[in-house]
Amino acid sequence: MNNVANCLQHLKPQRDDQMTHNTMADNHDDEQHNVQFEGTSSGASLTFPIQCSALRKNGHVVIKGRPCKIVDMSTSKTGKHGHAKVHLVAIDIFTGKKLEDLSPSTHNMDVPNIKREEFTLLNIDDDFLNLMTADGGNKDDVKLPDGELGEKITADFDDGKELLITIIAAMGEEAAISYKEAPKSG
Amino acid sequence: MAFEDVTVAKPTPETYKALEADLCNHSGKVPLHERFRALFTLKALADNEAVDIVGRAFADESALLKHELAYVLGQMKNPHAHAVLKQVLATKEEDPMVRHEAAEALGAIGHLDSIVILEEYLKDDSEVVVQTCELAIEKIKYDHRKEKEALPESAYSSIDPAPPTTDEEATEQLRAIYLNQKLPLFERYRAMFALRNQCTTESVLALADGFDDPSALFRHEIAYVFGQMQHPAAVPSLVKVLGKLDEANMVRHEAAEALGSIATPEVYPVLEHFKNDHERVVRESCVVALDMFAYENSGELQYADGLSK
Repeated sequence: MNNVANCLQHLKPQRDDQMTHNTMADNHDDEQHNVQFEGTSSGASLTFPIQCSALRKNGHVVIKGRPCKIVDMSTSKTGKHGHAKVHLVAIDIFTGKKLEDLSPSTHNMDVPNIKREEFTLLNIDDDFLNLMTADGGNKDDVKLPDGELGEKITADFDDGKELLITIIAAMGEEAAISYKEAPKSG
Repeated sequence: MAFEDVTVAKPTPETYKALEADLCNHSGKVPLHERFRALFTLKALADNEAVDIVGRAFADESALLKHELAYVLGQMKNPHAHAVLKQVLATKEEDPMVRHEAAEALGAIGHLDSIVILEEYLKDDSEVVVQTCELAIEKIKYDHRKEKEALPESAYSSIDPAPPTTDEEATEQLRAIYLNQKLPLFERYRAMFALRNQCTTESVLALADGFDDPSALFRHEIAYVFGQMQHPAAVPSLVKVLGKLDEANMVRHEAAEALGSIATPEVYPVLEHFKNDHERVVRESCVVALDMFAYENSGELQYADGLSK
């Protein structure tokens, strides 16, 4: 990554809702401020910093502590010093809620590390999915999704279909986002 | 620049008129910082009409405004500005800060034909003008080199007086080049812009060490890149420079505007204080800097908001 990404580490703990840009001195630190998440198998950080100007539509970003997908971006014209502000509109990847942010293009923002993985569905137990990992282990901590997706998974599972569930994981949160029927073997 | 919003529709003739009225203060009531916002709106348009409007604003008295006009003409990179820039550079009665900016702008536009013009001023009475012309000539020659260097993508949209150093990455090494007064200014500037691109506390502190350099031009450029970097570690050195009453005006002016761009809370009272400075260019810079401060701390997207009014 470009050295510039080390610039102006922009910690954004509790941002208020007015999208005000705040250049408090403690937003700036040359040390990496990635949040380490104990307990992930990879030990990978939950987020990594990237200069705001390098963000792109359809990419991901953390806004107000939530992992989001960017659905719209606009950049201001530049002033004397040649830097701009970037207005971001993004959707929380878990809740679907729309969030916005406004940041100087030179500042860093956090990008969530997102993991997508497919698991075989073994059972549905009291609104939790019983899943099988690739190495044969059990994973029982992801909820059956609410609404239509959950109903369809339940119906197809009850029909005896073998299902592969896609689980998305980011910032210590996980959810089932889609599923498909397992390819018939033989 | 990769990320600048280029979807600006061509404004109507009325918009150009309104921007000119703001920039040139036709009503006599337009505050200086509003005139600056109109100027940067014209910069984004960058067509011949915008260049002509900026050119007409040189009738003003404010050296601060005029130096910014010349700067913007360079950043527009529109050769249509050559005539007015040559004229400003040739006007010996003009403030050296304005003439310097005109010479730098010719370098920014980067035509080979400008080299002979710039060479005429290599023995100018103003050291700032002489050094600017040296740099601009080197920059144009660099731009027209047969073998192009691969330059890293920069976070800043500015056309700089020198490209960043490409064959050295260590901060300490870059600092040594940057501070070595025996090296050509162009090479030292290249190290300066490489340090800017690093944008770490370490590189900020290395850059701040340059404020002891004998060249006012060099010192003013440090303050400018600090305004670009928006790094709070630069605040103490900028406050010191602004408060040094025997420092060159163009350096103090640039320090004030850099503080406005960094816009951390502690710079506000400093800018308020020097709004009453004995030097006009410093006073005016503080007015513009306080407006930048307000913008940086606001929820507004556009600084150059002349098309949305």
